Amino acid sequence: MDEPARRKRPILLRAAALLFAACLSAAPTGAAEETGSSQEAPEAAASSVRSAVDFDRELDDYTPLKDHYNFYFTYKTVHAWWDAVALGMEEAQRQYLDKGITITYEYMAPDMASARDQSKRLLLAEQGDYDVIGVDVADEAIISPLLDEMVEDGEKVMTFSSSDAAEGCKRIAYVGNTHNYEDGVLLTEALCEKLDYKGKVAVLVGSVGAPCHEDRARGAADTIGKYGDMEIVAREYDMDSVDKAYELTKKILTEHPDLDGIICCNMSNPVGAARAITEMESNAVIVGMDHDQEALRYLTDGVIYCLGVQDCYSIGFDTIQTAVKIADGQSPGELFPEKTDEITTIIYQEDAALMLELLYGESL
Amino acid sequence: MKKKITETTFVITAVIGSFLIMLLVMVNTFSSSKQTVSATNEAVSAVSSFYLEAMADRRAQTISNLINSTFDEMGKALAFIEEEHVETQDDLRSIIGKVESLLSLNRLALVDQDDIVYTRYTTYTGRTRHEFLSEEVMQDRMISTVYFYGSSKQLCLAIPIPDFTIMGKPMKACFAQIDIRDIVNLLAFDYQGSTYFGLYSKNGGNISDTDLGPVIAGQNLFDALEPYLTEDILSMHRDNFANGAEGDITYASDGVAETLAYFPIQGTDWEIVVLIRESVINDQIREISEKNLSSSRKQTAFTLIAALVLAVVLLLESRMIAKSKIEAEKETSKTFKTMANTDAMTGVRNKHAYAEQEAALNQQIKDHEIEKLGVVVCDINGLKTVNDTLGHAEGDKLIKEACALICKYFSHGAVFRIGGDEFAVLLKGEGYDLMTEDIEAFNRKAEANIAEDAVVVSVGYATLNAEDRQVRDVFDRADQMMYERKKELKEMGARTR
Repeated sequence: MDEPARRKRPILLRAAALLFAACLSAAPTGAAEETGSSQEAPEAAASSVRSAVDFDRELDDYTPLKDHYNFYFTYKTVHAWWDAVALGMEEAQRQYLDKGITITYEYMAPDMASARDQSKRLLLAEQGDYDVIGVDVADEAIISPLLDEMVEDGEKVMTFSSSDAAEGCKRIAYVGNTHNYEDGVLLTEALCEKLDYKGKVAVLVGSVGAPCHEDRARGAADTIGKYGDMEIVAREYDMDSVDKAYELTKKILTEHPDLDGIICCNMSNPVGAARAITEMESNAVIVGMDHDQEALRYLTDGVIYCLGVQDCYSIGFDTIQTAVKIADGQSPGELFPEKTDEITTIIYQEDAALMLELLYGESL
Repeated sequence: MKKKITETTFVITAVIGSFLIMLLVMVNTFSSSKQTVSATNEAVSAVSSFYLEAMADRRAQTISNLINSTFDEMGKALAFIEEEHVETQDDLRSIIGKVESLLSLNRLALVDQDDIVYTRYTTYTGRTRHEFLSEEVMQDRMISTVYFYGSSKQLCLAIPIPDFTIMGKPMKACFAQIDIRDIVNLLAFDYQGSTYFGLYSKNGGNISDTDLGPVIAGQNLFDALEPYLTEDILSMHRDNFANGAEGDITYASDGVAETLAYFPIQGTDWEIVVLIRESVINDQIREISEKNLSSSRKQTAFTLIAALVLAVVLLLESRMIAKSKIEAEKETSKTFKTMANTDAMTGVRNKHAYAEQEAALNQQIKDHEIEKLGVVVCDINGLKTVNDTLGHAEGDKLIKEACALICKYFSHGAVFRIGGDEFAVLLKGEGYDLMTEDIEAFNRKAEANIAEDAVVVSVGYATLNAEDRQVRDVFDRADQMMYERKKELKEMGARTR
């Protein structure tokens, strides 16, 4: 790296620090805060990378009321990100099995993110014999009313993983990332600091209407808006497709060959952007989300500057745990929160190898 | 000129010879122990490689057998499921559960044409999760290693089932997963702190999470070996891994030799690696070897000490022999001397002895070391007549009788035969003191013998006086007196010649 490394820190803490600093002054104190964190020792950095994903989860003390549960989960699109969530769900299911409680579930998604497809799946699930129906909201404007209707019909509905329903939706609980806006702010702040708070940037978003993607894009836009010498010259949706992200980045680079940076708001964005940047030999700095193996390799090579890694495993694990409680008729409160927050950790080039090893056994 | 070998030369030769022999024995012992150690190391290395190759081969075969038997079980499972009337997802989950239990299969799953995966507990969209589903149409069996997002590492065995329909849906594939931890448990053996194994991917990554000895431990094999091997050798082994070939590597870390053998596992991209720490075997063999060497050293030391003792004994004996030889030579010399000084006929000392004695006495006279000395000169009467008339044998007999008579009466003196019929007696000490009595007794006997026709000896005597310069002076006076006596005896009837 050509400048002091920035270290990982649970994004909530960093977001709180940023917000606190922003309240005090309009100056880029958040950036100064981040630079200060680069003084962490290598051991602490490795420990931070390891704690980015908690593979040692165990069920809490809650005793389920039944010995069998059947759930239905649907998410935005078929993608490795949700495969990682699935692993956490399977671990929770296995631990319940050890306690003599059988949990069966469906975990389905379309090839392309689509609120219409998601609506169909939810309506179909409503016809099935499921204790709880969970959804990763593809488009809050379309899906939230449907969820309200399902709840009114007596269905136990929850949201999970990356996107919650709209504010005021009657879904029972949400397990997942509750700080997507802040993720967008943090990534953009890192980019601004890298670019010395000046230059042209593009924003790649995932699916139209997907709350998590839109929130991050909002966070990015608000942050760029703070700096007079920075400008967003393009904003595109890749619809969670790497190929589309690649094509869009090439198009943006063609239109703006002097582009200085790209803010990527989902998992497919940074992969497609990095491919295009490499191919077109651009110097644009990429910041993005998630743990895609190819993206981590680009991070290793320095093509991507930093990535926000979410703890998908814990999201999956807590989703099953919360679903069991909801199925038993429990309400958010002491047993589980209405919104279960999961951490995001920003990682840099020097963290990439360890993350690749942890998540993909890269040395294999 | 011939060099004379002295006793010192002999001793030096013996000492140097013994030292050289000891040195040779020690050098031979050292050389043979070095050869033994070297040969042992070579043997250990050869045995290690052979042992490891055999071990790796056997374990690779075990995994291959497990894979083949799992494929067989999957075939049986499909036949079983096909026979059942599966109408709902619940039916399918139930039957998959039964089959898993019956056939001891781990995570058996069916996949439909839409890449929906059906397992015992879950149904999920699996296109991005399972590598083998990336192909539109599966052609053949597929074996892949699954390690995703921190999950446990699995070996995934998949078979295409294009003609299989269930719940009205055409199926694409059936797969089962084998947890690598189960494979590790199956392969586990008694490490004894010296033998290790691990499963590795084509690029040398550790799949089994087993430590391959203290040096490599859980690291990538080639990364760990980089400091110990040349780039060429490392590259050769990398190629072997990539091409699914077998081989072995020996390296040393901190003076400890380690050998590992790798063997490809058929149907997979894996290599099984078995490592043995030669130091452990070496230590055991060295212990045995050292015992043998110690025993050999003791034997050598014992031999050396024995040789040394023998050499010392031989030297001492040699000295004793030499000494006794000298003694014997001295004795012989003495005998010869005695023989030279003795009269063969009478056994008394001869004229030569008398001359030696006379010389010694002359020196004493000269040095005034002697005062009392008497000389008696004796002559046998009638010897010539006996010789002439009765023969020399009778003459000799007469001489012996005369000698015996002289010796009898002058028993305290030294008797010498100084001529054919002439004797001399030297008297000192007691002999000198009794000389007069002895002369008188002798003369009486001589006179008596005339009448008896026995041996008659004429004697004259004289003693050393102050004017005498030598024994001869005394002798001459005694000799003169002897002639006088001879005349007297003749007159008494004795034979004179």
